[in-house]
Parts: sequence; structure tokens; C-alpha cells
Amino acid sequence: MMHSSRSRLTRRSVIKGGLGLALATTALTTLGLPMPARAAGKKVIIGAFTDGGLTPFKQKIIPQAKEAGFDIEFLEDEYGVTLEKWFADAQSGAGQYDLYLLDDPWVPQFGAANVLEDLGAGGIDGADKDWIGSMIDMGYWPPQKGPRVKGFEDAKPTLICVPFVGDLQTLTYRNDVFTGGAPKTWDEVIAKGKEGVAAGKIKYPVVFRGVSGNSIVTSWYPVFLSFGGAFFDDKWNPVFNSAEGKASADFFVGTMKQNAPSGVVEFDSDQEGAAILGGDAGAIIQYSGNALKADDPAQTKVAGKLDFGVVPKQQSAIAQMGIFIAGVPKSAPNKANAVEFLKWYTSAETQAKLSEAGSIPVKRSAFGIAKPGNRLIPVALQQLDAGALPRPRTPDWAKVEELLGIELNKALQAGSGGGAALDNAAKQVKDYLTTAGYY
Amino acid sequence: MQSGTQARKYRLQGAGLDLALPYLMLAPGLMIVLGVLVYPLWDGLRASTRAYRYGSPISDVGLQNYVHLWSDAQFLNSLWVTVKFVALSVSIEAVLGFALALFCLREFRGIRLLRTVLIIPMVITPVVVAIVFRLIYASDAGMLTVISEALGGGAVQILGKPLNAFIGLVVLDVWEWTPLMFLILLAGLQSLPHEPFEAARVDGAGAWRVFADLTFPMMRPVLAVAIVLRTIDAFGTFDQVFVLTRGGPGEATRLVSIYGYDTAFKFQQTGYAAALFVTIGLVVLALAFSAIRLLRRIDAS
Repeated sequence: MMHSSRSRLTRRSVIKGGLGLALATTALTTLGLPMPARAAGKKVIIGAFTDGGLTPFKQKIIPQAKEAGFDIEFLEDEYGVTLEKWFADAQSGAGQYDLYLLDDPWVPQFGAANVLEDLGAGGIDGADKDWIGSMIDMGYWPPQKGPRVKGFEDAKPTLICVPFVGDLQTLTYRNDVFTGGAPKTWDEVIAKGKEGVAAGKIKYPVVFRGVSGNSIVTSWYPVFLSFGGAFFDDKWNPVFNSAEGKASADFFVGTMKQNAPSGVVEFDSDQEGAAILGGDAGAIIQYSGNALKADDPAQTKVAGKLDFGVVPKQQSAIAQMGIFIAGVPKSAPNKANAVEFLKWYTSAETQAKLSEAGSIPVKRSAFGIAKPGNRLIPVALQQLDAGALPRPRTPDWAKVEELLGIELNKALQAGSGGGAALDNAAKQVKDYLTTAGYY
Repeated sequence: MQSGTQARKYRLQGAGLDLALPYLMLAPGLMIVLGVLVYPLWDGLRASTRAYRYGSPISDVGLQNYVHLWSDAQFLNSLWVTVKFVALSVSIEAVLGFALALFCLREFRGIRLLRTVLIIPMVITPVVVAIVFRLIYASDAGMLTVISEALGGGAVQILGKPLNAFIGLVVLDVWEWTPLMFLILLAGLQSLPHEPFEAARVDGAGAWRVFADLTFPMMRPVLAVAIVLRTIDAFGTFDQVFVLTRGGPGEATRLVSIYGYDTAFKFQQTGYAAALFVTIGLVVLALAFSAIRLLRRIDAS
């Protein structure tokens, strides 16, 4: 009695249905009616690279976003493959992500390729005074300040990314070695560190990343800045091999190496982190990932003995900034949701929650909350106020960093010749940028 | 009349079908070959003559990318490192593989288990092998350092010194790929005719004489094939270096595969990277052709 021809799924009905759907979609597109930007609910697919600095966001903020009605899909990849993966996704228009959590030096590449949405046009106010100024500046392409690469001299700066999690270098040190508080100068790091070694409290005064390329340059950069170095002039001529730069490189490959583990040439952030958390190092300069573990006895042998401070100075105490920064690809399947999520996430209220969860926020008001979730947060604000600079805003930074990193690594192996390494690197960088049409 | 015309028509149609049928049957396969083999090769070649630069339209630069390669110190260094790596690794693998194959040719208790154990490194994923070797080589907590410190020595520096890192990479490759050499050569040895060996034994020839006058000459074609296969494969080594050293320290282990990867994906110079890989492809092709000609000469002699 229940046999009904209506309910039968035949090949004819499937073909007819499919054809109808295809025709309807084509008609809508042809008529210029916008296709809905939203998928079911408020879905947002976030692509991120694996990093300890995102742990509070994952653990505390994503559940709150879900309560606010967002359906977050969080996709993580290893750092080394994310740039190529996302750049290919954005250029091909594959539309696999709604939001990329980029490393900030990648912003120029994505900006120059014109594959990210204008978030200002989406209603995100880059002029809001609550942003940390140096952080929001990193989201513009071309940059609002400083030199611009050829082809973008006259372009209007557009906000293509917004700061997502603040991150910058600070000093982590052993408070039983540096008993008078954070060491103020590099000389103090070495001198007091040696006393700590002699007293059997630590094995090495300082530990840093020595691997070729990005790693070694990242470690050397705050030393370089604190010695008063500048990387490029306003015409993109390399000036990092100035007297100040050379002094910093000589100090780095000489004095610092002599007071670090013998295998520091092959050290990356995992070995650097292990050295401070394992109790071997007196001081390191690092981004927030390992610092967030400093009070957790399950992750460090020296819980309670690690404190944070502003990076040491020679002339000034300037750190390198390297924030997580979010961009919405033009091919995002849920573009409107992504922009709405960013507005919610960067609101003063959510940023305060991020601060409570233990991550460095990107809005100044969130630094001032009563109970920040991590001791690093007020120190990060001190560092921001003392001085923190992003890497030069050029899409060719990766190549520049590679050329410099190889030369610095070779000098580090030798334990001397930092100044000569900078001369070699400056020549190579100049040649490369000449070929690339910078001058 | 009408039926005669019709018959001729049918015969003609039949003949046409006979002519077209092989092509129709070949068409799907041909389409697949064109789609998955010829088109990507063509696209790669086309990409190698273009400059892809952010924010600018793609431009044709002819052979400029190829010309620039030969004045690129980083490329030349990576090519030299690759040649050294391939030559050293493949030579050691050939000698060790041959020795192991000769040893495992004998029949004794446990030989089957031994043959199986010997090929295990080859079937492990290269990335896993690299991670294991990193745990052995790392100067801070690696196994070699732990052993050295237990014996009263200091930290062992493998990955932080150029020569050590290069040798460490060769050791890894030899450990992983000697089994392939062993497998090919063992199959070759097992297929040799028995009569000449029996005759040599009857004549009282010693082991070395048998090896030098019989085994090695008869195995030369198989050995050449094994060496060619491994050489082609070794030119493409990537995963192990990517995990273990990323090309460092300095540029000591920066193979062309790593430099090409960086150029394409880190530096976003896709056209230049395509030219680099086409060049390496041609080098490998030339090696393969030379080896094939060599094999023919050996066969003829």
C-alpha cells in the first residue's frame, strides 16, 4: 500500500534534478545575483602553522567563538610547508581556507600578489587607536611607512591583514643567576652568566638558534638592532654591514658562541627551548611559544626560576616583532563569516579574554586587564614601548634572509669573522636585488 | 545492381573501421599519456622560459633563466654538492651491496631471515629514517653524544660541521639504499649460469680468480643497471636532507633539490626553479643515455 512512484529515485530523476540545479546556479550567476558567501551556520576555516604561541587561542578562544555562533574548523600544518601551501591556494583560487594565520614577513608576498581581501573595505577599522600601532602597521600593503618596492611606490596602502596574536622577542632568564632582575646589557648577560656556570647553576650563559637561514638571522637580529644597526636605507641599499652591524655580528659569532653550547651551529628553536626549559641556559631571547611553558612543571625542570625581561641593550633594547597576522583570501568560501569572525576576535572584549588565556593580545586595552594569563604579557608591553621592529617589508625578505643566514652560519662555525660575513652577504643581497629590479 | 553497390559500401565501411579501430582502441591510453606525462612536461618547460614575479604580469624571458643558472653561485654550489653526494653514496652502496649479495648467495641456516632483515631500511619512509638519524646525530641529546659522554668524551658534532654533516648524510643514504643495490645484485647473481662456475671449480680456480674472471664480468650489466637506477634516484634526494639539515651547516649539504625547493616555494621564483629542475632533468637524462650506451658496449663485448 505504501508503494508510491513519488518516492522512487530513478536515474532520470537524478539527471533532471542535477540539470535543474546547474541551470539555476548558472542563471543566478549570469543575472549578477551574489552567491551566498556563508556556508551553513557561521563556518570559518582557519589555516595555521603549528606553534606554541597559538595554544591559548586554540584551547580558550575557539570554544568561546563557538559559543558566539561561529563554526570554527582549525587546520594546522608544519611551519615549513604553510607558506607554499597557502600561496598556491590563494593564487589558484582553490578556496580551501577562509582565514590564513600568516607569519608577518609573508604579508608583502601575499600583498604584492594581490590575493587577499581588503579588510578595511570589509569594515575593519585600522585607524582604531586601541590597536598596537606597530602591529596594525604590519597589515598594510604597501606599507604606510618606510621604503616601498618598485611597482608599489604610488599605490594606496590597503589593510589586507589584521594582527591576530601579538608575538615579539623578549628575554627569558634564570632568576637564580641574574639575581638583580633582568640583565640590562649583553655584557651583563655574559658576565653574570659565567658566574652562574662557575656556581654550577647552569651550563651556558646564553643559548640561541644557529641554523642557517631564518633561524640564525632571527637570533642575531635583536643583537644587531640593540647595537644600533639598520638593515636597508630608504632606497633598499643594504646597510646592515655598517660598523654597528659588524660589531654586532662579531659579538654574536664570537663572544656569544664562546658562551653557548659547542653545537649551537645546529641549534634551532627546539634545542634553544630545551636548553632554557631543561635548566642548562642562563638566558635566551625568544618568541612567546616556549615562554608560555615557563611556569609549567610538566614542561620545565626549572619552574619558578624563569623570569622575563626586555631584550638586553648595547645602545638600545630593540626586539624583533613577528606576529601572527590574519588575512582573508579572495577565494575564501565563507568570506563574510571570516570578516565577521575577525571583528569579533579583535574586539576589545575578546582580546581581553585572549590576554586572560595567556596570549599576547593585539589591542592595547587588553594589556591592562587585571589578571593577564601569563607573566610574559606585561613584559611584552614593556618591550613594545622600549622598541620592537618588524622585518623589512619586502616580498624578497626570505631570499635576503637566506643569503645573510648562510654567511652568518659560516662565521658562527668558524667562531669569528662576523664583520666579513656581513660584507659578503651585503654584496650578495645587493646583486640579488639588482637582478630583481630594485634599483 | 543495388545489392552489389550495397555490398561494396559495406566492404568499404568495414575497411574504414578496420583502419580506425586500432587508433580508437589506443585513444584512451594516448589521452592518459598526454594528460599525465606530456602535458606536465610541456607545462614545466614552458614555465622555465617565463618570469613569475609577484604583482607583475607573467613575462616570457626565453632562455634567460637557463643562462642565469650558470652565474648563480648558489646553484653551482648545490650542483657540486649533489654530484659529490651521488658519486660517493652510489659508489659505497655498489661495493657494499655487491659484497652483501655475494655473502647472501650461500645457503645456510637463517639466510632467508637475514635477506629479509637486510632490506628493511629500504622500505622505511625516508622522513622517518631522517628523524631517526637526527636522534643519533644531534649534538645536544643525540645517541652519539650520549655514548661519547658516557665514555668520558664531549658532545659529538655531526650536524654543526660541514664535512661531518656531509659524511653523515652519505652514511644515512648508504644505510637506507644499499639494500636496493643488494636486492638487484642478488637477483643477478642467482640468475647466472652454473656451468662456468662448476668448470672453474673442476679446474681448481680459487675464489678470487672465480670472482675476477667469471662473476664480475658476467655481473657487469646488472651492476651497471643498479648503479644507473640508484644514480637517478640519488639526484632526487630531498626528504632526508630537508628533515636532517635543511642544507646546512652553511651550504654543505644543500643539494639541488633543496635549492630548487627553496627557490620555488620560499623565494617564489617559480620560473627560475622550473629552469633549474629542467636542467637537472637533462643532466640525469644524459647520464641515463650514457649508461645505456655503455651497457650496449658491454653486451657487445
